[in-house]
Formats: sequence, structure tokens, C-alpha cells
Amino acid sequence: MTKTENHTLGASGAWHDAQALGALRALRRAGTLAAEYTRVPALLARMPATDLPAAGQLLARLDPKEVCRHADVPVVTVAVTGHSTVAPVVAPLTAELARHGMLLEAKVAPYGSYLQDLMRPAAAGDDQPQLTLCLLDAHMVFDDVTVPWRVEDVEAAARARLSLVAGAVRTHQEAGRGLLVLNTVPLHRRHTHQLVDLRSRARLGAVWRDFNRGLLSLAEQHPSVVTVDLDPLLAEGVPAWDPRTAQYARARLSDALLAAYAREAAHVVRARLGRTRKCLVLDLDGTLWGGVLGEDGAGGVELGAGLRGEAFQEFQRVIGQLGAQGVLLAVSSKNDTDTVRETLRTHPAMVLREGDFVRVNANWKAKHDNLRDIADRLGLGLDSFVFVDDSLFECGLVAEQVPEVAVVRVDDEPALHPSALLADGWFDLFELTEADLERAGRYRTEALRQEFREDFGSYQDYLEGLGLEVALRPPEESELARVSQLTLRTNQFHLATERLQVPQVAERMERPGGYVLAVRARDRFGDHGLVGALFLRRDKEVLRIDNFVLSCRVFSRGIESACVAAVLEFARDTGASAVTGRFVPSPRNSAFAPFYAEHGFAVTGTDPDHPDAVAFRHDLVDIAPAPAHLRLQAAFGPFDGDPT
Amino acid sequence: MTTALADAEEFRTLLEEELGLPIRPEDLDRPLDDFPDWDSVLLLRLVTVVENLVGRPIPVVDLLETRTFRQMYEVVMGR
Repeated sequence: MTKTENHTLGASGAWHDAQALGALRALRRAGTLAAEYTRVPALLARMPATDLPAAGQLLARLDPKEVCRHADVPVVTVAVTGHSTVAPVVAPLTAELARHGMLLEAKVAPYGSYLQDLMRPAAAGDDQPQLTLCLLDAHMVFDDVTVPWRVEDVEAAARARLSLVAGAVRTHQEAGRGLLVLNTVPLHRRHTHQLVDLRSRARLGAVWRDFNRGLLSLAEQHPSVVTVDLDPLLAEGVPAWDPRTAQYARARLSDALLAAYAREAAHVVRARLGRTRKCLVLDLDGTLWGGVLGEDGAGGVELGAGLRGEAFQEFQRVIGQLGAQGVLLAVSSKNDTDTVRETLRTHPAMVLREGDFVRVNANWKAKHDNLRDIADRLGLGLDSFVFVDDSLFECGLVAEQVPEVAVVRVDDEPALHPSALLADGWFDLFELTEADLERAGRYRTEALRQEFREDFGSYQDYLEGLGLEVALRPPEESELARVSQLTLRTNQFHLATERLQVPQVAERMERPGGYVLAVRARDRFGDHGLVGALFLRRDKEVLRIDNFVLSCRVFSRGIESACVAAVLEFARDTGASAVTGRFVPSPRNSAFAPFYAEHGFAVTGTDPDHPDAVAFRHDLVDIAPAPAHLRLQAAFGPFDGDPT
Repeated sequence: MTTALADAEEFRTLLEEELGLPIRPEDLDRPLDDFPDWDSVLLLRLVTVVENLVGRPIPVVDLLETRTFRQMYEVVMGR
């Protein structure tokens, strides 16, 4: 690690750039903010959090259509509704989405219309927002309570209100209106302290928690509902409300709380769009332990013993907790590799061990080169990475050289490291699957495969030695979450990029003529698990491949070719005259545009639903055999009748 | 940004920089209804911004009842 300052850093030596807001204002003054929107995420990445609301105000005034004329920015359409005045959330949400390179197109509902909004029928096609935010506050209960009131009155009002909300949420979900974000409702001292007897006051607290518990449980009942718990945000010292704006403008959640909420909501959007980050790359000196390993030696670094040593250990526990949930951990450290490996193996106070990391890059090369190396080795895009370092120089250089990487700068106070890492929900996802829990183990096995490969003269020899077995069969009910997750998170081998939630996967299975097939793979080193899915549909004599998704972990092993061969054979054996496929281009899947053509399909034109898409057809006359180095077992499930 | 508001001109700059609302000097006395981009949400934001700037609470009701940007400035300055 080096403490050298870099020219790209502000004179203050702080990670946050006090000039960033000024730069944004200058763009706005010059009238070029829309045209130069692609510069905005980098400016916001290092903007002090206190400046983000002002940035949000400026960005919220841009016309999204104007921005899209200049830049290829993903637009997120959001309907905002709620019990009170909800428009103040638009500016902070604009800023938070802009941090992630996304552009907000918000539609704000009239005051207090949330129940009607939730129960409206679905809008047609593109008019349907991707996300609905329904902002709830204490008045949704207290509006129904009249003076004088007792706890029982609040309890009855809260029950009635919860039941109304639950019904409206169910209607919203059953109408297929997509992702809905609710929140728990802060209880104000303004209300508790209108009760003078302490027993009643305690009871009000309990009644209120039941109400919030009901709101939280709606997220358990509906897979496309998220309830953001505001309690942890308030516990960071954010005021819940401003009595004046609540009274005079019915804006009942404070600006600061809305800003914190918007940060959470933006990560919900990221998760929904499959942009959950997957790999956490950590510096060592000053980050995982105190001091400098190269100078102090393994025995001299601050870890375990002493106050700061305990704080570093605590940070390692937080990282271990993330790692246990499928976040891949890696090291990038400017140190001698042998010293680092020895320390990871033998330092008595290390919580994280060598085996917890899928890669340990300890060397003297630039960190951005190491990040690229780790990304290549893991087969992941740099936009899946979060990088943590205490050095301003390293953080600045990484931010400049590989802007796709999210940079978390920790400072010289290790007790604050966990808060810095968790300030953004970089690894938030909807549902943890078995594959997440086993991910790190799989990537480590992959490292063994790579070593094995290096022993072979040719790649083909390697494949033949691998003993690959592939199974193709309908997913069990317990596997639907994993199939859904593959569609949500896979960006490269994803031929039609259709993102499906669990109920939508189930619906595809139940459709007449519909098949969903899970791809499982294993080899001599272990089980890859469920790594892909095929979505098929029989349409008279034609078997359509609506979508095909395969995890990047298992590319280039012939699995995709074997799956297609099995589909073609199945089609022929069940009397189909052709199999069709479609390739729908996305920002990340272009490497697989020639896939169908390479597998004997002919281009037949475009897809009327997707002007950019290319349609393919295989006439089943000449079916290429599956690659000989693997064994494939296919069970397509019941075939419902002769299509002719 | 300055640490206090010296004159109406600085208030105009503040509206522009903090709220993204370009106001010409001659706009200060025009009725707010003439500005389609102006809304009460911006006024709420203005309360937060101005209180941070001047370091004291401002009378929110008076601010909500103003009809021009100049009247707003006068409320902010406590006149």
C-alpha cells in the first residue's frame, strides 16, 4: 500500500469531492447537462452525501427524452404514490439512480390516492411502470383516529388500515403490475407522548410494531413486493419528519429520510435489473488489518489484539457474513504474495482465511490491472465488482481507470469500515438461492479446473478429461427461484434476455405447449448445480426456443451445443417440422449473436415484437451431434399429443 | 455557495443552483403562476436549503403564502 497523493485528488485529501456539485452546476449553466449525462455517475460517485439532494434537484429538472437523444442511458419508469405528499422523493431518487447510471422517469400520483392507485387495472405495454413506490406514513393510521383516543382505537384503526393495504397490494400483484415497494411506518414521539400513562404508551409501541410487522409480511406473501424497513435508516440518526412541512404541506417524511429511502429503492431497482454486484475485492494493509505487512511483519500488524485490532477483526466478520451469502471475496494488495499467503494461513487472529477468497492477487502491479485479471479469471464483468481500499491514491486510480467498479473508500478509523462497506446495498438481491450459498466453493473448484487445464496439451484434451455430465429436465418447484435468478442476473449468454420472476417461470411451465428446462452440469471436480435454462413453446409443428440462458461459469465446454442438439432431437422425435430461435441484442450478449447460426439455424428475418431481434429456424434435416466429450441426459417432461 | 444571502441577486442564484430554476432579474416580481416549473415541492426544498444557509428557522407559513420570488426573499431575510 502506498500513501502517495495523486493529482486526481482534491487538495483536501478527502475521498469525497467537494467540487463535484460545482462541476454539475457548471454543466447545467452551460446547458450541456443532458448532452453530457454520461459524466454524471462519476461526479456523483465522489460527491459528499450532503450534496446529493441538490444534485438530485438539478437532475430531476432534465427531460429524460432529451437525455436519451444524447446518450444510451437505461430509463427506469417509476410510479410514485402514497398516503401523503410524495413528490419530494423524486429528486433524491433521481440522484440515486443517476449514481448507478440510470435515468428516472417518474410519474407522481395525486395526493393521498394510493389505495385507488394500487387497485387500478394494469396499463397497456410500455405505459406500465417498471416499479411502483408506495410511500406510507403514520397518518395512514392516525387520520382514522379521533380525539379523545385510546390505544384500542389506534389498534382498531391500524388493523383496518393494514387489511385495506393488504387487499390493495394483492389486487396490484394479481393484476400483474410488477414490482411494488412499500415501507414500514415510523412511530412519532408526537403520538406516543399524547398518552400520559406509561402502560398505554408501551402498548401503543407494541400495536405499532404489529402494524409494521404486517407491512413487512406482505413482502413474504408476494414475491414482487419489497418492504423497505425505515427503522435501520432512522437509527443512523436521520429525522423522521419535519412537523412544519408535515402540517403545512402534508409532506410527512423528512427530506433526509427520503434520501436514505431513495438509496435503498435504487438498489431494489439494481437487483430487479440483474445488476447485483457479485465480487468484493479487498485491500489488506489498513483495510483488513492495521499497519503495513511488508514493514511490520505478520506479527506486527494490528489484528485481534488491542482496540483497533479488534475493530479490524470485526470488519473481517462482516465480510465473512457477506461471503457466506454468495458474495465472492478476493484480495488485491501491493505486497509480496508469499508473505500474504502465509499471513492468511497462519495469523491467529485472521477471521478470513486463504480459502475464503476466490482469488488472492498480492503483487506490485496496478490495482486496476489486478481487478481486470480477477474479472477475467472469474469470468465476470467489472460492473460486478466492489473494491475496498483505505488509500486515496488507489481508490482514485481505480475509479478513474475502471469506472464500472464501485469504489468504497475506508478511512483510518477501522470501527467505521463496516458502515462504509454497507452504506450501499451493492449485493442486495431478491432471494438467496442454494447456488448463492455454494458460489464461492464453485469458483474455487474452478481454480482447480484451471490448473488441471494447464496440464493439458490442448483444450480438447482438457474437455475430454473433464468427465462432463449434463442433465436437462424440468426444474423442481424448489429450483424455480434459481431459474428466475439466472434470468435476472445473467447478461452474457442470455439469447433473448427475458427477466422472469418466480411466478412468471411457473406460468411458463404451465402454459399449454410450454416447457421450461433446467440445465444441470457436473464434472470430475464437482457439481456446477443448476447453470442454465431453456424456455420452449410448441406452436403446432414448430418448437420455439423463446429464450436460452447459461451461466458464464460454464461457457466454452460444449454444454450449450449439447442442449441445442437435445432440443433438436426432441423436436424431430415428437413430430415437429422445425425449431425456431431468436436472438434479442442487449448491451452484454453480443458475443453470442452468432450462436444459432453456428448450430445449423438459418436466419429467417426479424421478430415482429422486437425490431432489433433476429429470428432463426432449423429445419431438422441435418442435426449435428452433441459434442462427444460430454454425456447428456434429457427428460423434457410430458409431451401433450401429436402436434399434427 | 455563499454563507448568507447578501441581496435578491444572490437569492436568484440560489434558486438557480439549488433548485435548477433559472430566474431572470426581472422575474423576481412576476407572479409565481407565470412559472410552470415552479411548484410547492420546490418550496419545501427551499425551506431546507435556506435554513441550512442562514442557520435559523424561517416562517414556513409565510413562505408558503408568498406570491413572488421577491416576497420569498423578503420572508427568508426576515423582513
